[in-house]
Amino acid sequence: MTAETPLAGRTALIVELGLPLLGGMAEGLEDAGAAVAALRDPDVMGGVMGDAEAIRAALNDLLGETVPALVVLSLLGEASTVIRPVEQTDIDSWRAAAIEPIRTAMRLLTVLGERMKPAGEGAVVFLAPSLSLVGGAGLVGLCTMLEGQRGLMKSVARQWGASGVTVNWAAAAPRALSSHFDAADLAAKGDAVPIALGRRPDARREIAGLASWLAGPAGRGVTGATLMMDGGEWMVP
Amino acid sequence: MNWASCAGLLAGRTAVVTGASGGVGRGIARALALAGAQVVVAARSPAGGGETVDLITAEGGQALFIATDVGDAAAVSRMVEQAVAAFGGLDIVVHNASSTQGRPTPLEEITEALWAEQAAVSLDALHHLAHAALPHLKNTGRGRFLVLSSAQGQHGGAMNPAYTALKSAQRGFVKALAREWGPHDIVVNALAPAALTDAAREYLESDPERTREAMKSFPLGRMGDMRDDIGPAAVAMCSDLWRYVTGQTVNVDGGYYTAL
Repeated sequence: MTAETPLAGRTALIVELGLPLLGGMAEGLEDAGAAVAALRDPDVMGGVMGDAEAIRAALNDLLGETVPALVVLSLLGEASTVIRPVEQTDIDSWRAAAIEPIRTAMRLLTVLGERMKPAGEGAVVFLAPSLSLVGGAGLVGLCTMLEGQRGLMKSVARQWGASGVTVNWAAAAPRALSSHFDAADLAAKGDAVPIALGRRPDARREIAGLASWLAGPAGRGVTGATLMMDGGEWMVP
Repeated sequence: MNWASCAGLLAGRTAVVTGASGGVGRGIARALALAGAQVVVAARSPAGGGETVDLITAEGGQALFIATDVGDAAAVSRMVEQAVAAFGGLDIVVHNASSTQGRPTPLEEITEALWAEQAAVSLDALHHLAHAALPHLKNTGRGRFLVLSSAQGQHGGAMNPAYTALKSAQRGFVKALAREWGPHDIVVNALAPAALTDAAREYLESDPERTREAMKSFPLGRMGDMRDDIGPAAVAMCSDLWRYVTGQTVNVDGGYYTAL
């Protein structure tokens, strides 16, 4: 293991539901030395994630007895990413967009905890668009859901802290993650220099690099944190 | 609390307060009435709701109880229409109702039923209230939508992940809806209280040493009175005084949570 390969000899798991945001992640984690397993089959998303036992079975099939050193989660169901005003959203669409992906994250974390906590180490990193931190018109359901997942992340970080497993949140500029957000009326920082670095993050090198760092020795003291990979747009807090 | 400083701030306005049959909701309902608002007490419990109406009436205010399950879209719609019929309009919505099943539950013990019940009251209700209230709130300059959140949604509660997630989700809702409804001239905010509810009082009074330790977390040395500490903040946030503040979560907690 070196600073460049903090995951050498370890396994990283990617779980990606709905809108694909993790392009370049697998390659970046392999660059960090990890063997990468991925759960991103749309059929798996729709069926398995509604039931903890099925998630358990899917992870057993994928990983066997292996305990991942790093899990990267992107859990944006298709319903969450529909852009429309809240008054045009019926209750079933609302639940699918704003509520069910929070419950999915709970089920997934429950199953991951069974595997990771006894091992006494490991990192879970949610990757999400930063828009929920500032809000977005037409994206009330998505913002509600993402902040719900982010609150859950903090709670679980506290509950699991003594086990040595960390849980964090990485937020990147929405359009850096998916062209889907090109159609959204996103909040933008009004400034002569709206984004300090003036560019989007490199997914393979920088977003995967941050996740790898959190799972490596140098990142083990960080948990419950929200890390903004937005090139210095919002500079929160 | 000198309520004369709030007199007339909400005169002629109509407010709906959910979960106002007791606790923080009752305190806010009383405060809004003391500031001049006509208050609809929207709650499931006729007994508790009636008590709130009686308290408001005794304090010189005007209130109406409407039995409402906030997780039921039809009930919420009906309640809003009755409020408009009774008072001639609707200016303020305060969503305070919270699940009665919100006891601390570790992640691995959260059942589907527990989650569904809590999510219905916290998040389904926001959808129902937004749908029903929007036609009445828009473009009047007086539209206010206030959500009772919690500091747990900001700092995370170790043993209550469902509650933490839902209270955090409500903050996401507020930020997004503030952007969506800004063009309608509607102000949308969240208030995160640390209130001395009956349950909190009972818990603290059972162990004086625990109370001393707990109060070290509050720079003001006490939890807030529901009417006289939490209520005035809600009044201000629903009045013209705060008409240029939107999309924010305001912690009304005696300094309990100071991290930004």
